[in-house]
Amino acid sequence: MRRLAYFQRLLRRLLAGADAATNRLYGWRYNPLYHSGALVVALFAVLLVTGIYLLFLYRIGAPYASIVRITDQVWVGRWMRGVHRYGSDAAVVAVAFHVLRMFVQGRSWGPRTLAWVSGLILLFVTFLCGWTGFVMVWDVQGQVLAQAGARLLDVVPIFSEPISRAFTGERALPGAFFFLNLFAHVALPIGLGILLWVHVSRVARPALLPPRRLMWGVIGLLLALAVVWPVTNTPPADLFTLPGPAPYDVFYAFWLPAARALGPKGAWALGLALSAVALAVPWWTRPSLSRRPPASGVDERLCTGCEQCYLDCPYEAIAMIDRDPAEVADGRSAVMARVDPARCVSCGICSGSCAPMGVGPEGRTGRAQLSTVRAFTVERRPSGRDVVIVACERGAGGIAAGTEVEGALVYPVSCGGNLHTSVIEYLLRAGAGGVLVVSCPPRDCCNREGPKWLEQRLYHEREAELHDRVDRRRVRLVYAAEAERWAVRAALQAFRATIAALDAAAAETDIVLENQCEVSTISAEVRR
Amino acid sequence: MSRMLQVAGGAVVAISVLAGVRLLSFTPYTAERDIGAVVRLAWRARGEQVRDCRRRSPEEMAQLPLHMRQEEVCEGRLLPYRLVVALDGDSLVDRLVHGAGAREDRPLYVFQDLIVEPGVHRISVRFTLEAPSAQHDSDHDGGDEARPAPQQRLALDTTITLGVRRVLLVTYDEERVRLVVRGG
Repeated sequence: MRRLAYFQRLLRRLLAGADAATNRLYGWRYNPLYHSGALVVALFAVLLVTGIYLLFLYRIGAPYASIVRITDQVWVGRWMRGVHRYGSDAAVVAVAFHVLRMFVQGRSWGPRTLAWVSGLILLFVTFLCGWTGFVMVWDVQGQVLAQAGARLLDVVPIFSEPISRAFTGERALPGAFFFLNLFAHVALPIGLGILLWVHVSRVARPALLPPRRLMWGVIGLLLALAVVWPVTNTPPADLFTLPGPAPYDVFYAFWLPAARALGPKGAWALGLALSAVALAVPWWTRPSLSRRPPASGVDERLCTGCEQCYLDCPYEAIAMIDRDPAEVADGRSAVMARVDPARCVSCGICSGSCAPMGVGPEGRTGRAQLSTVRAFTVERRPSGRDVVIVACERGAGGIAAGTEVEGALVYPVSCGGNLHTSVIEYLLRAGAGGVLVVSCPPRDCCNREGPKWLEQRLYHEREAELHDRVDRRRVRLVYAAEAERWAVRAALQAFRATIAALDAAAAETDIVLENQCEVSTISAEVRR
Repeated sequence: MSRMLQVAGGAVVAISVLAGVRLLSFTPYTAERDIGAVVRLAWRARGEQVRDCRRRSPEEMAQLPLHMRQEEVCEGRLLPYRLVVALDGDSLVDRLVHGAGAREDRPLYVFQDLIVEPGVHRISVRFTLEAPSAQHDSDHDGGDEARPAPQQRLALDTTITLGVRRVLLVTYDEERVRLVVRGG
């Protein structure tokens, strides 16, 4: 278990480095590594469109000849086939990064188990779909994949006749084989669609597509690749000749050498063992019971029924339920929030969204945050020129692990979205010259929507907003990924220059904010 | 980082990733390395079926519902055949072929690849009923399937010429009711 944690940390460091490098080149908005999951969906759409075109030209009676004819169409057919092929390859790359990110960020256990397991099934179906696609071409690679697949199936004791006998050359391969293969290649994407729905069923507002510029950029690059370096025809399948050297697609045929070396039973054993390991990740990576973060709770006395936590929760873990009529008669709201612990990942975003500080995981509610910040200011005593950096523990250049960065005090929070805006107000009223909030880039948030809601609370008056009485010149929000300490330093330098131009802040004493955080009226439209 | 450097770096990375995808998409590989040629044995035969039958006693019959009172109960299976293959006088295969399925009541399938050196060889194939048994009720469940007749042996003795990396198929010709050679 300790080795797994070490392995996880190592991979996390590598990915953080890759994220930071890619952010420098493309900016966090268009960093493809942050949008790997959405890119898979976009590529899936590309495969559907190009696949429909290819479907019209594919002939079951002459599979190889029809593919050659498509490839010989210099203007459209070749490009379509190229984009279809390279798109399917790119989808595997994107899936690999998506799985890696979820694994290293520990987003695989608890309520996220369903997404992890359904994701693995999605991956398996994707490989299966790719397998049928390559067999459709019926070139050397298609033949080898078909024969290797048949050998694997022959081990399963449910077929009365060995599947491999279809490829002995004893009889001509029937059109029914290619029809079934084509049917599977068309039907499996429907299964992928259903699985995708299951995959995102436990998240609110799933980001199914990447930003347009990124999406069209990727599609354009795939098209350029298909034009500049087109897909070429390989020799046709010949059951009476042993397959010679030929180009293979590593993304879908990677298992062939292992299957050949281990034999069908060994390949099954290895495949099942790896699948079991992958499926067990949610159980392997979950923290021990004592270290597991608690689910959010609701203080019913404080809940005003405003629905903001219900609207902001990225996991649809909060429902609004009817309150006891007796309590309603006492002037309480008609509804109140209720957290479903089975869906709550303990992100604490509800803490940041609750103006009266009545919801959140134990120790991280708005009130608990005020207690913590009170203790922080007593201990650290920020002066009128000091900058306090409120840093996300998971990103923010990794500065949350320390207490100071270049003389600026560091105040760590579990997630930017968890931060209650009253903490910022408290820090300023306690004498800090400025508060630099450093959050993860929005698409890199382990809790999906933390930075998004934080930004709206600070600058767009989203409920539980930073009050107007707070001097906005003394508050700044910046995004920095885990390995972007340089970005934090640069932001700190710029912010200090701003603070230096202002008068030194004066510290107040006996600051009480709990009762000043009232919920404003939410429009009827939002309620609906 | 200057804007120019950023754009250039972004372009280089994108082109490198695309080149990587293309190279991995067309990676040279030889699926059946180090194999000169193959003799493939592949056929299907119904074989000889034996059935163990017994009559139900009147007491047993009485316990059954009316519509299930069959007097005779039979369980069938196929008798095994022995497959013997020799190449240039050297024995390559000598094994029993049982009926497929958990109860061995499905047809017999022969499917085996033998790796051999390319060139001219003398091949001998025998497929003979292993245990003909008189004490069983014999029934060869003909249907329209071509099959070796009960206790008949299928045999092939011929000279074959195998090209480099070629596959020669030994199979059963249903019309001629004998083993034949194809390909090579």
